[in-house]
Amino acid sequence: MKNETSLTVNGMTYPVAIDSHATLLRAVRDDIGLTGTKEGCDDSECGACMMLIDGKPVNSCSYLAMQAVGRSLTTVEGLSSGEELSPLQQAFLTAGGVQCGFCTPGMLISATALLAATPHPTEEEVRIGLSGNLCRCTGYDGIVKAVLQVSSK
Amino acid sequence: MTATFVAPTTLADVLAAMAAGARPVAGGTDLVVGARQGKKPLPQSLVAIHQLDELRAITLTTTGVRMGALVSHEQIIADATIRATYPALADASAIVGSHATRAHGTLGGNVMTASPAMDTGSPLLCFGATAILQSASGTRSVPMDELWTGPGRTVAEPHELLVAIDLPALAPGTSSCYVRLEYRRQMEIAIVGAGAQVTIVDGVITDARVAMTAVSATIRRIAAAERALVGTSGDRAAADAAGAAVSEACAPISDVRGSADYRRAMVGVIARRAIEAAVMRANGGTVPIPASPALHGAS
Amino acid sequence: MSILQHEVAQADYVRSDGHGKVTGSGQYTADLSFTGQAVAKFRYADHSHARVLRVDVSKARALPGVYAVITHDDVPEVKYGGMVQDRYLFAKDIVRFEGEIIAAVAAMNDEIAKLAVSLIEVDYEPLPAISDFVASMDPSSALIHEDWETDSRADELGSNRNTLGYSTIVKGDADAAMAKADHIVTGRYTTDPVQGVPIEPRAVIAQWQGNKVTIWSSTQVPYAARAGVATTLQIPQSDVRIVVPLLGGGFGAKCDFHFEGHIAALARAAKRPVKLVFTRHEEFFAIGHRREGMLIELETGVMNDGTLVARRARLVLDKGAYCGEGGFFAQMAAMHACGPYVIDTVNVHSFLNYSNNQPSSSIRAPTAPQVCWALEQHMDAIAKTIGMDPVALRMKTLIEEGAEGPTRQVFDYIGMKDSLTKAVEMIGYGQTLPDDEAIGIACGWWPCFAVESGAYFKLNHDGTGTIVTGAQENGTGSVMAMPKFVAEELGMDPKDISILYQDTDAAPWDMGSSGSQTTFNSVRAVLAAAAEVREQLLDAAAEALEAAREDLELVGGAVSVKGTPSKAVTIAELAAAGTFHGKGSGPLPESPAVQAEGCVGRLGMESFLAPQVFTHAVRVKVDRDTGVVRIVQVAAAHDSGAVLNPIGANGQVYGGVVMGIGQALSEGTILDKDGKQRNPGLLDYKLVTCSDAPPIDIAWVGRFTPDAGPRGSKGIGEPPSVPTAGAIANAIANVIGSPVCSLPMTPERVWETIQGAAL
Repeated sequence: MKNETSLTVNGMTYPVAIDSHATLLRAVRDDIGLTGTKEGCDDSECGACMMLIDGKPVNSCSYLAMQAVGRSLTTVEGLSSGEELSPLQQAFLTAGGVQCGFCTPGMLISATALLAATPHPTEEEVRIGLSGNLCRCTGYDGIVKAVLQVSSK
Repeated sequence: MTATFVAPTTLADVLAAMAAGARPVAGGTDLVVGARQGKKPLPQSLVAIHQLDELRAITLTTTGVRMGALVSHEQIIADATIRATYPALADASAIVGSHATRAHGTLGGNVMTASPAMDTGSPLLCFGATAILQSASGTRSVPMDELWTGPGRTVAEPHELLVAIDLPALAPGTSSCYVRLEYRRQMEIAIVGAGAQVTIVDGVITDARVAMTAVSATIRRIAAAERALVGTSGDRAAADAAGAAVSEACAPISDVRGSADYRRAMVGVIARRAIEAAVMRANGGTVPIPASPALHGAS
Repeated sequence: MSILQHEVAQADYVRSDGHGKVTGSGQYTADLSFTGQAVAKFRYADHSHARVLRVDVSKARALPGVYAVITHDDVPEVKYGGMVQDRYLFAKDIVRFEGEIIAAVAAMNDEIAKLAVSLIEVDYEPLPAISDFVASMDPSSALIHEDWETDSRADELGSNRNTLGYSTIVKGDADAAMAKADHIVTGRYTTDPVQGVPIEPRAVIAQWQGNKVTIWSSTQVPYAARAGVATTLQIPQSDVRIVVPLLGGGFGAKCDFHFEGHIAALARAAKRPVKLVFTRHEEFFAIGHRREGMLIELETGVMNDGTLVARRARLVLDKGAYCGEGGFFAQMAAMHACGPYVIDTVNVHSFLNYSNNQPSSSIRAPTAPQVCWALEQHMDAIAKTIGMDPVALRMKTLIEEGAEGPTRQVFDYIGMKDSLTKAVEMIGYGQTLPDDEAIGIACGWWPCFAVESGAYFKLNHDGTGTIVTGAQENGTGSVMAMPKFVAEELGMDPKDISILYQDTDAAPWDMGSSGSQTTFNSVRAVLAAAAEVREQLLDAAAEALEAAREDLELVGGAVSVKGTPSKAVTIAELAAAGTFHGKGSGPLPESPAVQAEGCVGRLGMESFLAPQVFTHAVRVKVDRDTGVVRIVQVAAAHDSGAVLNPIGANGQVYGGVVMGIGQALSEGTILDKDGKQRNPGLLDYKLVTCSDAPPIDIAWVGRFTPDAGPRGSKGIGEPPSVPTAGAIANAIANVIGSPVCSLPMTPERVWETIQGAAL
């Protein structure tokens, strides 16, 4: 039997029926239909599934959807306002932080969390703060540059 | 059978659910991963404890510090008391998993998963911490060195919840350090880890604790190493002797993360580094938190 | 000739697929869903080598919610494979590695599909697993393919029993030259398999409409996938359409045709769309997702002045259970055993062997990182033997204009020595460092591949344009840069040009995203198509303006009379009144002919077209007590000809270097004695994290290269991952005093080397 409940993602509340064992990633991708958040592994190693829950980064592939009930979730789809890209999204594009793009949603979420907690991080803090997100394309260079560009403004 | 899920807001309701057969989930960082990888299915009846704010505090008590079971690694790293008095625990929490693991992973979850590779275990053993287990029928204290019985196993009954970990007050002149052998700078699991705590009075170690991670079925203290330190100044020779005692006392296994030979050599190196850093801290010196990256190449 | 940076416009660009990638609106294959779609799961072999005696799917088929279960009996009996046709879609009689597919299930959901897979009963007669790929070439070894003599294959492979590919490079009399050398230096190196690990796992969705199947797939090579589906299901290519949504990286792990055929067959049987998404675990053991392990034995005769008089080498490569497209690896490895050096005589023998391990594939610069890692350590050993500085030895022996390579290819201008000079300068070679730090250098090369490509370009009535290309964007940005090039050709704004790509029904055949050749070949075709439109526009404008064609220019979105900008007609005006469309392929550059009579196993690698050459210099810090190595700094200098798109080119170097660091230090698949993987997950197969990645300095030392790619460019995608491990190896050896001869150079191996040296 599924639990009739609701999840609040990017400020919108969605009535959903969730299995007790369902992961947050499944609920958001399959039930709510927001596919921006990706699945790259099954053991919290790659970070492609990163979301914010009450502002804190979570590997949604390893988190029970039911534990997110009543809390505020943010996915990559919630980072821009309308058509306007956020400064981080824009910087990722211009600094070469996006290649294949599969790690990008998770990276943007981790970077958003990092800058919320530490508005002016050192490069070392950026590198530590993004280490839970694997990227195979960029060597992280453009990503780190993008975060530092935004934080120095 | 259909899985069930409840998320009570009071401890009493959680304990009642557990008495009825539900199993607790906090941050889920180990539990859900284990299920997804097919190691162990998720319990059919789940009781989420993340809404128990009463278990989220770090409190000074008459006997030391009480850590609620839901205290996150992130909280530990940021806590001034822990950093000043129990720095080994901050060393450990600061290198657990990723930023996301540290945000949601809890001390209680880390301890009750009972992994031989868990990072917070060695510091807790060195402190002489006590686990507080509570059930609908009562509360009991279990010294940390009696809690773990094997990989993934503890003395807790299925209906008992770890609610807190008590850290005893420490004698003046005491400090500690946790060091892990890290292949990468982040996202590591301990291949070898060492916790050390020393009490130094007038330049002499009067009490020493050395605990090793990831080299046996449970994390454990190494008495021979501790004996090698007491009565010394904690200088390089003493740390080397203690490291050698650790190597002697450990019989690590070979696996994909390292051979037994390599591990045996590394336990001595890592223990020695943890001891030296604990001594430095006890003597008023500074070793950054976390200690592991700072000690790379320290010979 | 001056360095090209000053000659070619290099405006950076923002990729047109970027908005979707940063907002989450861009869709990858796994993000697509279809009404009624079923979930696909494979049943894999339970042994890495066994005879299949019985497969019983009746219980799985009977499970409620299961739509179809198919095996070898349900598809045409077709052997296929790129260079050797040595396999079937589903295991027929024998399974040859742990990832061999026995059956496929389509079910209502994930849970039912998993349960159904577990209900499939398979009886085996286990056979001895041959995981040791060196022992597999022993004449007494059991055969991995009992039918090897009748399997269709390219004749040049020189196959013999478990050796599916044999290649030599023979130049002069190496034995005689060796006898006269002042010194003979030998080295023996081994490498573990390495995985491609794109962050997007494989996904395939198939949907039939009548006789036609459309397949959405995360492949780098949609046209190869189309051909594979047509071949294995015995249907015409016109009835197979492959569409690639956004592709989440590949690195060669998504090359070759692998799973589209299974899913198409499954969807036909299930009578509904079927979707396959790999778990990370499946990503690890799947066919074609890894580099080959190798044994590399090198021997060099050298004179006291550094002249390399002879090179002998024996290379043994682990191809795993099946050949696929990788039959050329023996020859490619042989070329890298010589490297970009002038060597008087050469005698290299290279063996590509079957084993019961996971099949290898064209992972980013196949064979090159491993052999380069060995050769560059060997070069440092030679330098040490003759008491010469390693940089000086390379400066003396690297190829340059007019030099003759190992197959007697004579090179035009090549920036090989420039790359060494620049890398050495950037890293601060020779500076005094702490005693646990040192610098290492490695040089390497990689060819450009000329292949056919075709493209269309059309103008829309509002004056915008659309490129139709068969090229595949795997993330590098090389397809994304096409509008920029066409815009320059036609005086248009790149923003007014869209791209239709990754749809085999739309564009002519293309090799896909492999071989660092998208710009090299696909852009050539696009520019040729644009050139046709340019001619059409000039014709139309000449008529509209009543001006002579040769007096016209295309600039600012208009065709105008040179010197009289007011006399102009906009492209939009012309487009609204006519039909403007071009097609093109462009002239195919040819590899220089070489006289390599002594060489066998010639599959085209004996001549390196427009070689991309490069040097990396790396500074490391070694923890002598633990063997843990940290990378302090990397300097990468590359000759890739003219750099057309700096942000894209730099991105390839940053990413390639970091991948190279992983290969050097932490990435290695550990096999048990039966060839099964012991660390098939990201916790114990360790990629480089952001915190491990060092600062990387890049220099482009290339020049405009005639007869190469568009506008004097060469490729760039693969080379950056080639020399990094070798440079790191040399740096480590410079700290600890001895070379680490196994790759990856894990902390334990570095520590063991230190212990060995101390004995």
